[in-house]
Amino acid sequence: MRNGGENRGRLLLIILIVTSLLVITLDLRGVKLIQGLREGTQGAISPIQSFGSTVLSPVSNFFSDVTHLGRTRSEISKLKNENEELRQALIARTDADGQLQQLQSVLDLAGTAQYKIVNAKVISQGSTTSFTQTITIDAGKSEGISENMTVISGQGLVGVVRIAYSHSSLVQLATDPGFRIGARIAGTQQIGILSGEGTSQTALQLLDNQTTVKVGDVLLARGSLNNRPFVPGVPIGEVISVDNAAGAVTQVASVRLFVDFSSLGVVAVVLKAPKMDPRDALVPAKPAPVPTVTVYAQPSETSTP
Amino acid sequence: MLIRKFLAILPLFILIYIVQEAFITQIKLIGGGFSLFLIFTLLWAALSSPEVGALTGFGAGILMDLSQSSNGAMGQWTLVMILAGFSVAYLGYGDDNFRASPISLIFIVAAGVFLSRLVHAILGLLLGAEIGSLTQALISLVGSSLWTIAIVPLLMPLVTRLHASIFETRARL
Repeated sequence: MRNGGENRGRLLLIILIVTSLLVITLDLRGVKLIQGLREGTQGAISPIQSFGSTVLSPVSNFFSDVTHLGRTRSEISKLKNENEELRQALIARTDADGQLQQLQSVLDLAGTAQYKIVNAKVISQGSTTSFTQTITIDAGKSEGISENMTVISGQGLVGVVRIAYSHSSLVQLATDPGFRIGARIAGTQQIGILSGEGTSQTALQLLDNQTTVKVGDVLLARGSLNNRPFVPGVPIGEVISVDNAAGAVTQVASVRLFVDFSSLGVVAVVLKAPKMDPRDALVPAKPAPVPTVTVYAQPSETSTP
Repeated sequence: MLIRKFLAILPLFILIYIVQEAFITQIKLIGGGFSLFLIFTLLWAALSSPEVGALTGFGAGILMDLSQSSNGAMGQWTLVMILAGFSVAYLGYGDDNFRASPISLIFIVAAGVFLSRLVHAILGLLLGAEIGSLTQALISLVGSSLWTIAIVPLLMPLVTRLHASIFETRARL
């Protein structure tokens, strides 16, 4: 009897493992049914994710604000109701202002380059069980988005649409370890390949061993054939260090991306690039130097005793 | 009988899956955060027999594969979770002292989270995925294990009672 139970258990385990291996094989062979299942799940979950994003966005700010409250408990209890209402309204307004600012900057960028874009809100920040760096946005096929479209924010390149669902899309961020993009240095037009490394810094490998790169150089997207997956001219980042190792075939540099991925709220997907390459038109302006003021301190003329 | 029990817990697993996908993924936590669904599944498996553990892992793995943020091939999480569910259940099966100890359960679930994510990453590498820098991957793995140690004691009373009520065994903790 005991042996029968053990054998049944082993048989079950083998059946389950074989089933999972079969599913992996079917998926790697590109069976449409599997993709359809994922799409269906995402279609069902994306409205809840939108709701979660709306609910949690002000709440997280609310808690951080409460920690700075320096009032006594008795005063707080007196003014609690009134303060809470005002605070919620203020946080909601601040949240909306922040999103509006992001929207304005992305529209400015797209307007300068004459990209045809569709705006989207970030509704999920990716997976906690994998090492990929992705976000989910609340616009999909119904808004004209399809796979391999460039995603930008007001500061520059965010990533590329990997999967487009009906009303949402999965975006692979430029920080993802699997992310690769052809880049050119603004001004000199030298070209190289930029690779994500899982952090806000990425690695640039120049293609030509005769060219050089220096700290402060700005990188722009080179653009792809038919503008998919990358449209040309999108600002990517700035070179922060150069590795001049002896014996290296080509130069390698570390690049800090322009986009702040921790505060992404509103992004835009480029549906169509302009006929003319914007070249270096989108290179961000350097901040103007702040004039220095020198103050000389002189002792006051007081009578000495 | 077993199918009826699985149908009874299915809504709970789906609820936790939705909470994970819609809410927990919104919050950026230090050390890469945690997966409530993965922790819940392994804790459930740790209280079950190896067969039930494997079946629980199978169902949970399918849901994890269906996640839009799952980067691997469909079935990759399923395979890992079958093995994780079976192993976690097998380690404590027949040893009431082991299962009655909250420390043992916390340890086994934390180790299960660490190893299942590690095996998933290795499988991903074999299938052509990239995991980025080793340091980042290690921080994420250790971070999720530490989060698990913090979360399991909060979940344990609820999960043990639910498990006992469905599988008609006495609550152990």
